[in-house]
Amino acid sequence: MNLNKAPSNILDRPLDRPRSSDGVSLSAFAYIYSELVQYHQGRAASISELERRLESAGYGVGLKILELVAYRAKESKRETRLMSILHFVSSYVWKTLFGKSADSLERSIDHADEYMIVDYEPITSTFVSVPSDLGQLSVDAYLSGIIAGVLDGAGFSARVTAHSVKIEEGEVPPTGSGGFSVPGMPPRKEKAVFLVKFSPEVLSRDAALER
Amino acid sequence: MSSKSSAAQSGQALWTKMPKANAELFALTYGSLVTELVRDYEDPIEVNAQLDRIGHSIGVRCVDEFLSKADVAGMGMTTQCQSLRDTAEVVAKMGFKMFLGVQAEVGGFSQDQKSFSIYLQDNPLSTFVELPGDEQGGSDDLRRLKYSNVYCGVIRGALEQVNLKVECNIVRDTLKGDDLNEIRVELKEVLTDGAGDDYKEE
Repeated sequence: MNLNKAPSNILDRPLDRPRSSDGVSLSAFAYIYSELVQYHQGRAASISELERRLESAGYGVGLKILELVAYRAKESKRETRLMSILHFVSSYVWKTLFGKSADSLERSIDHADEYMIVDYEPITSTFVSVPSDLGQLSVDAYLSGIIAGVLDGAGFSARVTAHSVKIEEGEVPPTGSGGFSVPGMPPRKEKAVFLVKFSPEVLSRDAALER
Repeated sequence: MSSKSSAAQSGQALWTKMPKANAELFALTYGSLVTELVRDYEDPIEVNAQLDRIGHSIGVRCVDEFLSKADVAGMGMTTQCQSLRDTAEVVAKMGFKMFLGVQAEVGGFSQDQKSFSIYLQDNPLSTFVELPGDEQGGSDDLRRLKYSNVYCGVIRGALEQVNLKVECNIVRDTLKGDDLNEIRVELKEVLTDGAGDDYKEE
């Protein structure tokens, strides 16, 4: 071993935008993710426990993504309002992670504290088909964990859950951008809806800022 | 694969056709898996074994994807690898390139031509990763963790599917201060085709 060269210190490595060529194949991601799901599946007693486990796996990733995206953002401002942080997540964070914005950001009609981020082709379920005995499982739970991590790190604590929702006939993604449509794959039958339910204190703070 | 450059070219051609994912999300997802393993198993040696097992399960599947895509792309996979040297070239320059976008180099063949090394300059798995160093003390056990051990399993699993039984080991690791990553691959046995003895008719 070369003694003159100190072990590469992680703090010396550049954090700037990676080289343009950077990226791995979607397959490589899918293989690793599938192993992550299988690993947790082997240890979870129920579907909801599996989803919780995937969420907590994503949570730490979300915290790190927030720091990374915030560091790289040109203007160094911090989002303090509810709508702007949601917008930040559905456009900025989404673009960083998936190369496209989320397909839509909606506000729940029934509950003022609930918002929905919709993605028609989340990469975590590209090659996944959920067997019927796992019923309502949404393997995009990992992404909801990431969203929760980002939001929590930014001071907007929220409960985020992933749901697979059947795509109605004739329904088309608003943006029409098939970010991860893979050639040779059948069109998706379900879209992912990430339900964001903010904590009461976040809402009251936002209401106070409104004045 | 006859010449060295053609493997690299084919690898590049395969890579351009692959749908891509964000490398950082990939690295963080792998990190999340390793963290979970470390938390569950505590003993780094056992974590290494688990990573190898996980890699093996990936390897047996990704070799199929590799063969079908390399074939569709008309990469001349009709000519089989004639020697372990050919195999090594294909694994490093086509396999690694196609899935991870990084090119690996081959070298260090042993006298009997039965073992070789794969050198990896950039390791997409280890972005953002730092292992606890000597000075930090405490969790000194983690120094025995082979963070990228999943590669060994992948190579083992993939080659097993083409009847090559190999053993893999990470011998140099940039996370441990080495200047590059080296995976040592050793051919143990060339398996024979066909059903095992258990399935033979009586």
